Amino acid sequence: MEFPISMVIVRRVKPLPYWIVPILALVVGLVISMMILYVMSGGQTTPYDVLLSIYYGFTNLGLLAKTFALLVIVGIGLLVSFKGAIWNIGGEGQFYMGVLLAAWVALFTGFAFNELIGKTTMILMALLAGAFWALLAALPRAYLNIDEVPVTLMMNYIAYYIIDYIIMARWRERQYGYYRTETIPETTKFQLIEGTTLSIELLLLMITIFVLVWLMFKYTSLGLRIRVLSSNPNLLRSSGISVHLTILMALTISGMIIGMAGAAYLGSVSHNLSYPIEEKTPGYGYAGILVAWLSMLELIGVPIAAYIIGALHTAGINIQIAGAGGAAVVNVFIGSILLTYAVLITISEYKIRIIVKKR
Amino acid sequence: MATQPESSNTFFSSPSKETPIIKLEGITKSFPGVKALDNINLEIYRGTVHALLGENGAGKSTLVKILYGIYTPDKGQIYIDGKPVRIASPMDAIKLGIVMVSQSPVIIDRLTVEENIVLGLEKFNMFAPTRRVRSKIIEVSKTVGVKIDTTTEVWKLSYTQKQLVEIVRGLLLGARVLLLDEAITYLPLEEKSRFYKFIRQFANEGGTVIIITHKIPEAMDVADYITVLRRGKVVGTVPVKNTSIEEIRKMMFGEKSSEITYERLPPGNPGEVLLQIEDLWVKGDFGDYAVRGTSLKVRKGEVVGIAGVAGNGQKELIQAVMRLRHVDKGKIIFENVDITHKTTHFLRLNGVGYIPDLPAKYGVSIENTILENIAIVPTFSSEIINWKRIRALALKMIKEYEVKTPGPETPVKFLSGGNIMKVLVARELTAATKMLVAYNPTRALDEATAIKVRKIIKSKVINENIAALIASEDLDEIFQLSDTIVVMNSGKIVGVFPAEKAKREEVEHLMVM
Amino acid sequence: MLEAIIGLIAGMSSVFLAYYLAALGHAIVEKSGVLNLAIDGVFVLSVAVAYAQAVYTRNNLLISILTAMIVAAIFGMLLAFFVTKFPISHGATGLSMMFLGYGLASLVGLPARNIQGSIEGLEVGYTIDVHSPVWVIVYIAIILIGLGALFLINKTKIGAAIRAAGEDPAAAEALGVNVLMVRLFAGALGFALIGLGGAIFELSYVQVWSEGTGIGHGWLAFAVSLSAGRNPILLILSSSVFAGLVKYMTAIQAMYNIPQDLAKMLPFVAAILAMVIFMATPLRRRLAPPKSLGKIYFREEKERSEKYKKNCFVLDSSFFSEVDLS
Repeated sequence: MEFPISMVIVRRVKPLPYWIVPILALVVGLVISMMILYVMSGGQTTPYDVLLSIYYGFTNLGLLAKTFALLVIVGIGLLVSFKGAIWNIGGEGQFYMGVLLAAWVALFTGFAFNELIGKTTMILMALLAGAFWALLAALPRAYLNIDEVPVTLMMNYIAYYIIDYIIMARWRERQYGYYRTETIPETTKFQLIEGTTLSIELLLLMITIFVLVWLMFKYTSLGLRIRVLSSNPNLLRSSGISVHLTILMALTISGMIIGMAGAAYLGSVSHNLSYPIEEKTPGYGYAGILVAWLSMLELIGVPIAAYIIGALHTAGINIQIAGAGGAAVVNVFIGSILLTYAVLITISEYKIRIIVKKR
Repeated sequence: MATQPESSNTFFSSPSKETPIIKLEGITKSFPGVKALDNINLEIYRGTVHALLGENGAGKSTLVKILYGIYTPDKGQIYIDGKPVRIASPMDAIKLGIVMVSQSPVIIDRLTVEENIVLGLEKFNMFAPTRRVRSKIIEVSKTVGVKIDTTTEVWKLSYTQKQLVEIVRGLLLGARVLLLDEAITYLPLEEKSRFYKFIRQFANEGGTVIIITHKIPEAMDVADYITVLRRGKVVGTVPVKNTSIEEIRKMMFGEKSSEITYERLPPGNPGEVLLQIEDLWVKGDFGDYAVRGTSLKVRKGEVVGIAGVAGNGQKELIQAVMRLRHVDKGKIIFENVDITHKTTHFLRLNGVGYIPDLPAKYGVSIENTILENIAIVPTFSSEIINWKRIRALALKMIKEYEVKTPGPETPVKFLSGGNIMKVLVARELTAATKMLVAYNPTRALDEATAIKVRKIIKSKVINENIAALIASEDLDEIFQLSDTIVVMNSGKIVGVFPAEKAKREEVEHLMVM
Repeated sequence: MLEAIIGLIAGMSSVFLAYYLAALGHAIVEKSGVLNLAIDGVFVLSVAVAYAQAVYTRNNLLISILTAMIVAAIFGMLLAFFVTKFPISHGATGLSMMFLGYGLASLVGLPARNIQGSIEGLEVGYTIDVHSPVWVIVYIAIILIGLGALFLINKTKIGAAIRAAGEDPAAAEALGVNVLMVRLFAGALGFALIGLGGAIFELSYVQVWSEGTGIGHGWLAFAVSLSAGRNPILLILSSSVFAGLVKYMTAIQAMYNIPQDLAKMLPFVAAILAMVIFMATPLRRRLAPPKSLGKIYFREEKERSEKYKKNCFVLDSSFFSEVDLS
């Protein structure tokens, strides 16, 4: 059976500039989303509504700030492993392990007596928790060559249920009987910058992580090794560098950074943990994947991608309030942009030709 | 593709009355920087066994790959049964009755024998049970003279058995022409003779067999005709009856084969033993032993050159020395330390430079810049990279080796093959403060640069008193560089000569026997 | 006592069937080398589609189930097409389809729920009566499907082709397999089964719908599939265990005081442990994931114009590694 239409994919002589694909994907993805929303809502959600919401999403900086900062941190964390071609899909789990340990520090240890010590300990413990959770997936990846994608993914669910269990069985607040923990003490709440949803500590954390990761990739052997891990692991081997160790480091550092985002989330956004966590999560771990992918794996692209994703998130919630569909809209946005992006990324290096055979 | 009119047939009036089953006319194929085949004309007749002989790089593999549709020729025309054809893919070749069995079996490990075979048979529909093919396989395998349990998963089979499966598959696909690309060179003796019998029988029944080999005795044993290729050209075709091993060897290596093309570089001054290999056994990629009980010594201030045709265990030996391949038996001692279980990292920190086989795959990362490709080697950078130092180093290398690049920040993929090789050689020679281990160190370099690199290696060996273990497929290189010449054949060392006493003919003879 | 046990077994038949089918579908997709991260989204979407169709057709089960299967199969073929035809990440494509599935599910389900609310007494679904022999038929069906799938995968040419595409697509192509066609087939068949699983999950187990119904159950099927090493027969075992857990979660908690949340974790822990065991022991010969699962397989067509050769870096078809000069 000969198909009358065939597709030929040929490598480009010169790759397209790297920023073209993300922008194109955004535009095409949004158009697809608008079409889906228009058709599926039976004409109720018009492209105009969508565009209005998007405008609102992009301009409402105060509302956007916390999402932006958290997405930047999570995005950078994922970027560290993605740069080594280690696909960490377990941001959600690492994030919530960070939240859990930060909550433990805030609620059940003596560190909360002092603001500085309390917050520092929260962040450090969250860092360790995230690193540990990532390490659990990194070990089988490095030494048994077990694909990290399904493992990190399932670790998210294990994290959810562990936390669910801890909330219900151990940490549930007694006073009102809600399905949640106590609120963390005032001394451990991060200070909001007035008029925004962003806290000073979160901002500082974001900047520090950005700078440290930039330094790591620019000036350390580890950073270089992680980059070479993705481009040619054989070179690592023949240079005498342990590929196992490089994989372990890439994934563990990734988890570390995402764990810290968890502490910042607890300190500046949620202040407690509610049951069941898998339904209450804002899903930064997954949205971060989108941020890291859209950044074209360039550190400088992460804030830009985080801004775009954060804005679309806000826009989606806005449409939702306006009444079309539930949390669905955000998912339609994310799904169609990411899918368009995944397919379009081909065209930065390849030309696609459709050939129609003449009968 | 057809560049020559069919009427040109008359110019090649062949003495034989029958039409050749395969006729090649003016086949030319270039790869970047190399002309692999240059105007090849060849006729192959039905019912004969035809051997293609030649050194590494003579173009014999390229030629059969063109026949099998893996490469397409730049110029020239292929005729099958006198008709011009275009072979664009292996599928086209199979349809014409041409089937290739290569050195590395294309076969899927976790599938059974019959599953591997049924996939290509169009007469079975997609939902047909695989067992239906069983009786056919058994029938055909009897003619080859083997017994195969068709329900065995392929990973349980030996390398030899896998190749036999490929041949059975070829016959089931209706092969009229079998291309055997070094397929029987490494078979054990007993199976080899059984296989010769099959080849004979296949030819007697009207089939055609093309054997690619570099072993003259093998070709003499099995073939009716031998065609010798050298540097992409046909040297000549002779019937086996009227020739001798000596004559073929001369055809393979050229008329002046007893002369040394290049002047020998000044000799080193061998001192104490730096590297000692004792009874080394190392497995190859297909699970059989590639290095079989090799012992070797390399002294400070000397170059030990390993001569041999590609695929005789040199690659595996080099990788084992660099601790990149598992050692099954034996010992490697470096500076009086047993490094058999040490890591590559240990060697790197102890001043060993390494130029690997397949440089683009193992030696550089083409996505990264020249600077990064230097900084990644632990010899040049600790945990924090001193880019200023690396940069200075890179600029020095670029100048000294005349690397053509816009600058040290250029990603390596934008350099030409030769310049990439220069970056690699420069880096590894700088890293080698005690020993250099190399495989084809001047591959892909032009002649002038190649000689320059050899001179640098030799002067480093003499002046800095380092040791060098160099395997090369280029005999000229071996003769020019080495103080001791070691010949490797089928995983064993078959000859050791001090360079000044080594005779080229003798070395060649040991390589191809 | 015996009656009680039979009652329990009968009671979980629908969940069992749903998980088994989804996990089996997942196994078939992944056998062909396509990493399937779209499963949860597509499962949730088929739940919503089955529900909505049941509302619109006034509980016509056949049409509802078929629609869900077709929608899922389209997603499966798209996934297979993208990851085989383009050099793109299986993970990215799968996850984006997951998000799309979640989103579309809400858009499909919400209007249907409004309609159901406006019609008095409209109920959807079919409950398997534990006292009728229907549940026995379900169990027999599971075993037959399992044997059928085993035969298809292990004993037929298409099954060999699917596994070949998952092990080594390049070699498979050389052996005569059309990898794209085979993956399209596996994608369509596998996702149709996932869709069927979703539809049965909705129509015979949940029977109501709200936003988010089914979320996480696709991943559960994913874990069920992995913990059985994608083997159709072992899958019967693993899906029965986890289906029982899900169905009787509350009862188990009450009776043995095992916390529900920890029980929910079990399938995922089991799947990870199973993956480790399958890779670290001789079992890997049978149960390890396909060698090329999730690997980008891409055959680049070459453009042989002179202009191309001049402008392109010489390293084109990796100069050193592929061009052998012998």
